[in-house]
Amino acid sequence: MEEIGSEKITAGGMMVSSVIFFPRLKPWAIGLKPWAPEQKPYLFGSAFILMLFLSSVSMAQTDTTITEEEDFSMYENLYFADAGAKRFCTPKVFDLSPAKLISFGYDHQGAFGIDYDTLGAVSSGHGHFNSASGLRLGANIPVISKTNIVWQLGVNYVRTSFDGRGTTAINVLDSTLRNNGLTTAGLNTTIFKPLGEENFIIAQGAADLSGDYHFDNFTPLKYMRYSAAIIFGKKKSDRKMIGFGLSRTYRAGDLNYIPVILLNWTAPSRKWGVEMLAPARVHIRKTLSARNILLFGYELEGNSYRVLRGEATNPLGYELRRSELRFRAVWETSMYQFIWMSLQAGYRYGYSFNMDSFAPSDKEFFRGFLGDQPFAQENEFKGTWYAQLSVNLVSP
Amino acid sequence: MKSLLLICAIFFSATLGIAQNTESDRLLGVWEPSNGKARVKIEKIGDKYYGKIVWLREPNDPNTGQPKVDKNNADATQRTVPLKGYRLLKDFKYLGKDQWDSGTIYDPENGSTYKCIIKMTDNNTLDIRGYIGVEALGRTDVWKRLEVKK
Repeated sequence: MEEIGSEKITAGGMMVSSVIFFPRLKPWAIGLKPWAPEQKPYLFGSAFILMLFLSSVSMAQTDTTITEEEDFSMYENLYFADAGAKRFCTPKVFDLSPAKLISFGYDHQGAFGIDYDTLGAVSSGHGHFNSASGLRLGANIPVISKTNIVWQLGVNYVRTSFDGRGTTAINVLDSTLRNNGLTTAGLNTTIFKPLGEENFIIAQGAADLSGDYHFDNFTPLKYMRYSAAIIFGKKKSDRKMIGFGLSRTYRAGDLNYIPVILLNWTAPSRKWGVEMLAPARVHIRKTLSARNILLFGYELEGNSYRVLRGEATNPLGYELRRSELRFRAVWETSMYQFIWMSLQAGYRYGYSFNMDSFAPSDKEFFRGFLGDQPFAQENEFKGTWYAQLSVNLVSP
Repeated sequence: MKSLLLICAIFFSATLGIAQNTESDRLLGVWEPSNGKARVKIEKIGDKYYGKIVWLREPNDPNTGQPKVDKNNADATQRTVPLKGYRLLKDFKYLGKDQWDSGTIYDPENGSTYKCIIKMTDNNTLDIRGYIGVEALGRTDVWKRLEVKK
């Protein structure tokens, strides 16, 4: 903290000169000789103008704040100068893990297998992979960041390359995983709208284009999949915000409409907390310091990928409903000022790797947890360990 | 006659200076950030503006019962400095057009210091934008002027 020492603090620096120096003002102090009858009379007029000027400085620099520096009690009973001003809650609670403005990451899964079901005339089989890994890039830039609204826009890119064991692919899906991998590129937006000091609304939307495409062989934009969520919440204190809402999501692989629960909570000790947007992610937070955080919990990741377009048996391709439940420990730490590293490791459970065929309508449909529409191919996605490292520029 | 002209010139230039000061000094006063957790008094030292915490909604650390200190400061020697009285806005200069820049803002919640620009949207409202490197990578908080009830 900077010490000002004996430096005088005022509402305006000019006040010092007017109050302290004006009573001592002598003509010679400003380069004039003492007035004498033989001097020209305009010098007196000039001195008068200067006196007027200096006194005007004194009047103009009145400090409307309280000048007693150390008596902080005088700042307790203050009110908004603008009678119509309102207080709004913010989207943060104490010690929440930092929001990432820009993120560069790499994800690596260990060896695993996939039990493929039959797909039409294609026989079943077991695929082996040494690993699945790829880049994860993201950016979330605040477009509007005001007291009464926060609006953020983001882009993301997630690549998964599958390293197949052996040289022979089991079937067409196995082949495209080995040769093309899976890619997701998307846009997202989040709006935080406080309704007052306690209540707020969070609205989120995302558009993701997922598939076995490369940028030189792009999947048509009509296969973009849209997710959204709306949450109504209450920030009860600087340590607790809760909310309930509804989401349209592909995190379980296929399209679902599910309720969501938001809870961001920090214990009075500020050593522990909870960061939860269930069922997408739930974490218990251990705060080692403001720049060192541990998280323990899970995240449900998923998307619907348009794969195998142009196949002779189904030119429209299929929708691969991929969903992973990642149980993990995360260490987030500040490497240098606003540049944070996030290192996570854990077990990746394969929740879904089934495929749907949309032929001939080529339209998305809602199955949910209770729907009985059959999958075109039911696969078993075996679990494995995984690790992820990212370097992030975090938000103020 | 030359002396009179010189004095008049000084007078007019000084008057312009006062007008400039009066405009820039509108920043002075006590302000409340949007979270309402603190109140900050902005003062002038020389030709620069500084803001210090003069009130905290939660003045004591719930763990120790003692007044809150700057425990998240990266500099370990500063971690016992009380937050009340802490100067978190520093070195702002008036840019003109209701903007003050070249300053920094310190966030005691995470011990980070950000570049900052202050824009006065009306006489009782400040947009305080803390940012990293470029203004686009930042967050704006709206501060409201406080005063003693009339």
